[in-house]
Parts: sequence; structure tokens; C-alpha cells
Amino acid sequence: MIKRVRALPYRTELGLMLVPYLLGVAGLIGLPALLSVGMAFVFYDALSPPTWAGLANFREILTDPTDPLFKIALANSLYFVALAVPLRTLGALGLALWLNRQRRGVGLYRAAVYLPTVIPDVAYALIWLWIFNPLYGPVNLTLNALNLPTPGWLADGDTAKLVFVIMALFQIGEGFVVLLAGLQNIPPEYYASAAVDGANRWQILRHLTLPLLAPWLLLLTVRDVILSFQTTFTANFIMTGGGPYYATLFLPMEIYNEAFDAFRFGPGAAMMLLMFALTAALIGVMFSFLNDWREADEH
Amino acid sequence: MNTKQNDRNPVSSSVSRKRVSRGLIYHAISWAILILFILPLVWMVSASLRQPGLAPPRIIEWIPNPIAWGNYARLFDLLPVGRYALNSLIVSSLAVPLTLLTASWAGFAMAQLSARGRERLMTFSLVVLMIPVTAVWLTRYVLFAWLGWVNSYLALLAPGIMGSSPLFILLFYWAFRRIPAELYEAARLEGAGAFVIWWRVALPLAGATLVAVGLLAFILYWSDFITPLLYLKSQSLYTLPVGLRQLQEMDRTNWPLLMAGSVVMTTPVIVLFLIVQRYFLQESRLAGIYGQ
Amino acid sequence: MSIFRKIYAWHLTLLVLLLTACQPTPPTATSDKVSFMVFGDPAELKAYQTLVKVFITQHPEIEIELIHIPGQSDYRQRLAADFAAGTPADVVLINYRRLAGFAIKHALEPLGPYLDQSAALNATDFYTPALDAFYWQGQHVCIPQNISSLVVYYNQDLFEAAGMAYPQTGWTWDDFLATAQALTKDTDGDGATDQYGLGVEPEFIRVAPFIWQNGGDLATPLGLTLGTPEALAAVQWFVNWQVTHHIVPGRAEEESESSESRFQNGRTAMYLNSRRIVPTLREAATFEWDVAPLPQNVARATLLHADAYCLAAVSKAKDAAWTFIEFANSADGQTLIAKTGRTVPSLKAVAESPAFLDPTVKPAHSQVFLDEIPYIFRLPLVPGWVDIEEITSAELQRAFYGDAPVAEAMVSAVTRAAPYFTEND
Repeated sequence: MIKRVRALPYRTELGLMLVPYLLGVAGLIGLPALLSVGMAFVFYDALSPPTWAGLANFREILTDPTDPLFKIALANSLYFVALAVPLRTLGALGLALWLNRQRRGVGLYRAAVYLPTVIPDVAYALIWLWIFNPLYGPVNLTLNALNLPTPGWLADGDTAKLVFVIMALFQIGEGFVVLLAGLQNIPPEYYASAAVDGANRWQILRHLTLPLLAPWLLLLTVRDVILSFQTTFTANFIMTGGGPYYATLFLPMEIYNEAFDAFRFGPGAAMMLLMFALTAALIGVMFSFLNDWREADEH
Repeated sequence: MNTKQNDRNPVSSSVSRKRVSRGLIYHAISWAILILFILPLVWMVSASLRQPGLAPPRIIEWIPNPIAWGNYARLFDLLPVGRYALNSLIVSSLAVPLTLLTASWAGFAMAQLSARGRERLMTFSLVVLMIPVTAVWLTRYVLFAWLGWVNSYLALLAPGIMGSSPLFILLFYWAFRRIPAELYEAARLEGAGAFVIWWRVALPLAGATLVAVGLLAFILYWSDFITPLLYLKSQSLYTLPVGLRQLQEMDRTNWPLLMAGSVVMTTPVIVLFLIVQRYFLQESRLAGIYGQ
Repeated sequence: MSIFRKIYAWHLTLLVLLLTACQPTPPTATSDKVSFMVFGDPAELKAYQTLVKVFITQHPEIEIELIHIPGQSDYRQRLAADFAAGTPADVVLINYRRLAGFAIKHALEPLGPYLDQSAALNATDFYTPALDAFYWQGQHVCIPQNISSLVVYYNQDLFEAAGMAYPQTGWTWDDFLATAQALTKDTDGDGATDQYGLGVEPEFIRVAPFIWQNGGDLATPLGLTLGTPEALAAVQWFVNWQVTHHIVPGRAEEESESSESRFQNGRTAMYLNSRRIVPTLREAATFEWDVAPLPQNVARATLLHADAYCLAAVSKAKDAAWTFIEFANSADGQTLIAKTGRTVPSLKAVAESPAFLDPTVKPAHSQVFLDEIPYIFRLPLVPGWVDIEEITSAELQRAFYGDAPVAEAMVSAVTRAAPYFTEND
């Protein structure tokens, strides 16, 4: 039997439960992040005390003609996000719609879709490094056998970024599951009444399913934008290190290089701040765009 | 499909034929999808069994000839891969219970707070999710170095204190919110404290989420590359991701060997996933994970 | 509102408890545990393991922890990170090209004074170019273990199959090119080269000797001098190996299989590298091979490759560490390492002994490394050299794989590298 006398009030207990999370975030994320922000405004190389720099770091990474790497990394990351996020969302949506209904074998298909997401990052990077190997990898061997042109993939500045996009497309398991859950949260009565009203598949999709899925899609897209700016690091590090000639230099790698390789923490932190601001701005734009679209849609 | 009955009725037999052909199309396309998504793994295994050193063939070789099982032996010869795998396992096995504990606590507390408290925590968690990992790499390193946590697993396990990721907290939050309020009420009326309710009422009803978060947390720590890269110095402590990178540094283009290492690193996670996936990829369970 | 206040109160209490409990342990008196960090292939690692083992038998009171990082660039990053965090290994191997960056930040304990006072070692025992590579602001900072340089490794079996004479000292750029061209073959007639005449990593340190050989120079204290006609001509000749003559793999080929791997597997006739790959070749090569000096042009020149044992300034076991460094660079220590093939010993006595020169152990003509010593050039000691090298190599690769003309790439390199010559950390 549960004890009648409680030692602590309920709310205190709840507070205790929150302590590890809040404490952890404060110590592991909050404090370091704040320090990093501060670091953006100083010159610091970890061996001598920091000296004030004001906006010099920002000026250097944005306007110095002898050091264009930040701008290149920024452009590359934007390219990646612009391609990967819509394609991933569409892919996850398409697969979720296709594998929504409970049919024989659907569990197997769903598991297969989720499978690449489970592969550890380092192994995943090496696998694709092999798959897109320009001379010996399966992709080019297949293209060759079909008498199609065989691009240089990671060896060619024009196609290298595409490899990263394709890799990202195979890891849509998480979005897939989110959208599946969203679809299954739609009560079946809605579909039944739509069928009674004589709606065909496309109309159901456009006027019933998609609007009801909208919050999930939004959540997914926002999270994807955030992630796509950050998750290229391991693959970047393992596969190309930024080459050929900075074609695959993405922001996290550039920040790592600047801070951990060259020990220019100030510029590194400045880059990080700008990346964060950009992410926030992009999400803000998306939200406002969506609000406009929703308002326009309301009739 | 009740074909026996339909055979008697000519109209319904044409309907059932349409159903059959639609069913075939469904399975054909679904199989195509399945194969597409499994292909990378197939190629990984296939490449791992190729004889290194030979000029690789110019046509696709699904099953190499000769099959070089020796690649795996060579792998364990070159680096203490068994030790690395054990280390990865130790870290993940310690991290998962810790994560489940702290994340479910936080999710539970969040679910029980007032609407304003919940909203604040939700916003807080979403903001934290937005902070790029690169923001904390360096200053966290300096912090941990000062604490003396370099070259120990403490640095790797530290995120477990905060539930490893705000996403996990949110998953538990949603799971606990779906439990009918009456159940909580009843327990409170009986005088149960928060921890008791969490343990006896909430957790048992959030099975799918426990499994999902457990799996995701395991994968997170098993795959973690950056943290061991920055913090681990003694080879005896290295985990598999770092080991695989070492392998790459030793012979950058020895594809069979690198693929063998990838197989070793990927197999445990795949096995775990296959065992556990039906708990959250099946229909009834899904809605229980990403709910309101 | 009050719930949050309570939470904050718990926070602070726990935070304070955590911080007070987890103070770093106070430094103990000089302990006898020395950590030693190295890089290299598994075969190189074995060499160091043997060294440590022998040292421990002679000095059982000192414990050596050997830390091994396989890749050179990962090693460099780890080194820098360790120094930045204040937790470097006691004894580290540092290449002279990286020395200035660490020395200028006082991260290293100068070993000159230790050397002067040493009974076992004398500065005159070493080859001067090696020792002087680690001379910074008035004193010797580190003790060099080798005086390696860039040479040509060649596959004797492939030369004989093609009926070509082995490379000889004094051979010219034209001889070199002709040899490589003759040895580049498409053996199965499918249009793709199966055997390359030459393998080389298109890095700045590989093209440097040829710039000197053409009478040019790399840099002044103010910046790179890659725009001079001599330098440009040398770089152009280097770049033409791929762009015009295709005697080296193109980018896709190099991605698919590195030149080093091709040479090791017997599919490349010549390969440019330092002494570093000898242990691996001894273990893995299934063909007859040897070394030859670089070809020469207007001048004869090659590049110094030297790493040295350095002592971290924050080390708490300096005396024990020095004992180890002293042993590693004594005749006994250097002989041990030399026998594994890894080094061209910096001690004259050991370099001229059979431990290094034995003609029955490959490469039979190790003497080549010693003959090159008078013609060794050094890269300038600039604190920002890591960045300069990275920039120049990236630009060189752009030209090497045909993505940009040499002149444009070199101008870009000079411009981008300029700030690193004048930055004053």
C-alpha cells in the first residue's frame, strides 16, 4: 500500500525530477554556449589570455579577401539545406502516405525505410565513400554498364555536394515515423465522411490529409533545417575534409577547422553565432511564410 | 481476401481481381523501396569480402570471388577492435539507463506542470534543440579539461545527465500526456508522490516510448564520433567510431578493410533495431509516441 | 512561479556541491610516469614499442605510456588540442615544420640546456642540418631523431620487365620524365591506365624540392615567392605530370586508390616519399624495390624531413622524460629505431653504421639518404606554417588536377597565405 505520509510536496518532487535536465542543460549547453558567444568578441588561442576584439572577428570572416572560406562554407551549407530539406520532407511524406495503411508486410517495409537511419555516422560515411567511388564503386560501375556517363562524384567539385544530399535522402527514417504518427492521428471517420461526400484520392490528400498533417510537416521541416546545418560534420570529416578545393566545405567543418585546428577561437565562435542567427532567421521566415499561406487558405 | 465467396459472384470476382492486381503493384513498389534502402548495407557487406590489394574489378561483383573472410581477421589484427567494441558497448549500456531515467523524469515533470510551466519548458527545450553542437564543442572541452574529465568516459556520458537530447524529453512528455488524467488523479488521491506515480503509473503505460528512446539513445552513443575524438587519449579507451577513423588513417583506400570495420560497427545496432522496431513501427504503438 | 524558484535553489546547491567535489587533483611531486605520443603506421608503431620495451628494462623505475595516433594530420590536431587544454603528453614527436607554432607559445621546454649537460649526448654527434632545424630564438628546442629527405622509391621488377635502367644519381628532369612515361602502361587495352610510372601526393612539400632545383625559392620572411619565373616553371613541370603527361593518377583514380597503395601493390613504378614508408614496404611489398635520389635540374636539392623528441613545458616529469629522450637518441636507442627502417638516424655514428646502411636489408641503397644531406634544404620556420602549407597544397591540387592554371593558383596561394607570415600570436 502506498504510504499516506509524504515527505515532500508534489511540486517539489516534480522540481527534483527536472533538476538533472535543467542542471545538465545549464552546465553542458547553456554555460558553454554563452562562453562561446563571448568568445566571438575576443582574440583567444587557449594558450594566452583572451584580448578584446570587438567586431574584428566578424569583419575578418565576412570581408577578408584573403580568407574566403567562411563565405564558401556558408554558401555550401545553404545549398545543402535548400536541396536536402525539401527533398527529405517530400520523401518522408511520400513514403509515409505509401506505407500508412496496415497491410501484410508493411512492418517489414517500414523497418527497411528506417534502417539506414540506424547506421552509425562513421560507418555510414565510409559506406557511401565506397558506393560513390569514381572508379570501383557500385554506382559508377552500374552507370558504366548502362553506358551512361560516370561523374566524378566526390572527386569533382560540381557533383561532390550532391553525394551529401543523396546520403541525407536515405536517412529519412525519423521524419517518416513522425509523419506516420501524424497520419495515424487522423481519425478514420474523416476519411469515411470524405468518401461519402464523393471526394477522390487527390482531393482527400489536398484538403483533408495535408492540412491535418500541416503541424507535423512544419515541425519536421523546422527540425530538418536545424539539423541539416549541423549534421554534415562527421561525413564531411571522414569523406572529404572539405575538398575538392572547398567544394564540400560545410559550416560545421569550417568551424571545427577554425577553432580546433587553427586555434582561432574568436573567428570560430563568430562563425558559430552567425550560423545560429541564420538558422533562426530561416525558421522565422518559414513560420511567417506558413502563416501567410494558412491565412490565404482560410476561406 | 475471401476469394471463395467472391468466385460465386461474377461482379465481385472482377473487383477482387482489381484488388489482387493493386495488391501486386503495392507489394512490387514496396519491395523496390525496400531493396533501395537496403542496398547500401548489401554493398557494404559485399565489399568487405573482397580481396584487398588486387585491382578491383570493373563490373559489379555482388559476391566477390574469392571471398576474403580474412579481412575480418586482419581487422582484429591491426587494431584492438574487440576492445573498441567492448568500450562502445560499455558507454552505451551506461548511457541508456541514465538517459531513460533523466529524460522520463523531465518529461513526466513537464507533463504534470501547469499550462504555463509546460509552455515555457517546451519553448526552452525547442530553443536548446536549436543550439548548434559546434557552439559547445570547444568551451565544453575547456570545461571538462578543468574538471579532469579528459580521457575518461565521464565526458562521453555527461549528456546523459540531461536526458541526452531535448527530443527524448519531448517524446516522454507526449507519452505521459496521453495517459488519461484520471489515472494520475486516482494515484494522487491515494497519496502517491510524484516519483511513485512516475514509476507505477506513467512508465508502465509508456512502453513504446521507453523502447524507442532506449534504441535512439543507444544509437546516439554507439555512433558518437566527435566526443571520443576530442576527449579520449588512451588507446585502451577508444570506441569503435574512433577506431574506424584510425583504420581509415592507416590505409585510406583499403576499401575491403574499411567496409569490414563498418560491418563490425553496424551489425550490433542493426540487430538491436530489428529486434526492437516492432514496438514502435507498428500502427497501434505509433500514435502513442508522437501524440499530443 | 514558486516552483521555478525552488528549482533554481536546488540547482545552485547541486552545482556548488558538484564543483567543490570535482576539483582537479593537485599536482603531485615529480612522478615517474612519462607519456610518449607518436604517429605512424602499425609497422612504425612496432618500432617505438620496441624502443620503450628496451628502455624500461634499463630504467625499471620509469613507466612509459605510449600513445599512438595513426594519421599525421590527426596527430597534429591532437597535439594542438592537447597543448591548448594544458594536457599534452610529456614527450611528443614534432616535425620541424610545426615547431615554430608551438615554440612561439612557449609550449615546449627547450632541450638545449639538457643536451649541454648530458653525459651521453653531444651536439656535435648529430648532423647539423637536423639539429639546426629545431633551433629557435637562440637555443635548441628539441632533439631530432632523423634527417630524412625526399627520395624516389622504385619497383625494380617493373623496371626490369620494361627493360629500363635503374635511376642513377645525377639523372635530370628529362630523364625522370622519360622514365616515368615509358613505365606508364595500359596493360589490358581497355583505355584506362593500369600501371602508372609515378605516384606522388600533390602537396606543397612534394613540389618544394623541384622549385629549389630550378633555382627558385619558396619564401622570404614576408611571404611566399611562388610568383617568380623559376618557381612557376618548376610548379608547371610538376603539374604537367598529371595534366599533360598523365604519368600520375588523376583525381578520380587517386580517390579510388591512393598512390601509396598502388605502389605497395606493385602497380606503380616510382613513388616519391621520405624514409617514412620503409617499415611498411619491408612488411608488405611483394616485389624488389630500392631508393634513388631525386632528379636534378639547375641545382641538386631535396627537402628535409625531420621530427624530434620534444618536451612539454607543463610536464610534471621532466627529468624522467629527459632520461627517456636521452636514451631514444643515444646510439643504442637510435640503432633500435634505425633497424626497423623508420629513420635516417640523426646521429652520425649510427647513420654510418650497418644498422642503417646494411645493403642486405631493403632499401639496399640507404646510402642515398646520406649522400643527399649536403643538398638538403629546409622550409622556413614560421609560426603560421600549418596554414600556409594547407593553403598552398589546396591551390596546388587545383592546378594539378587541371581545375585552374598554375599561375592563377600560385597567385591565389601567395595572396591567401600572406596574412600568416605577419600574424603575431
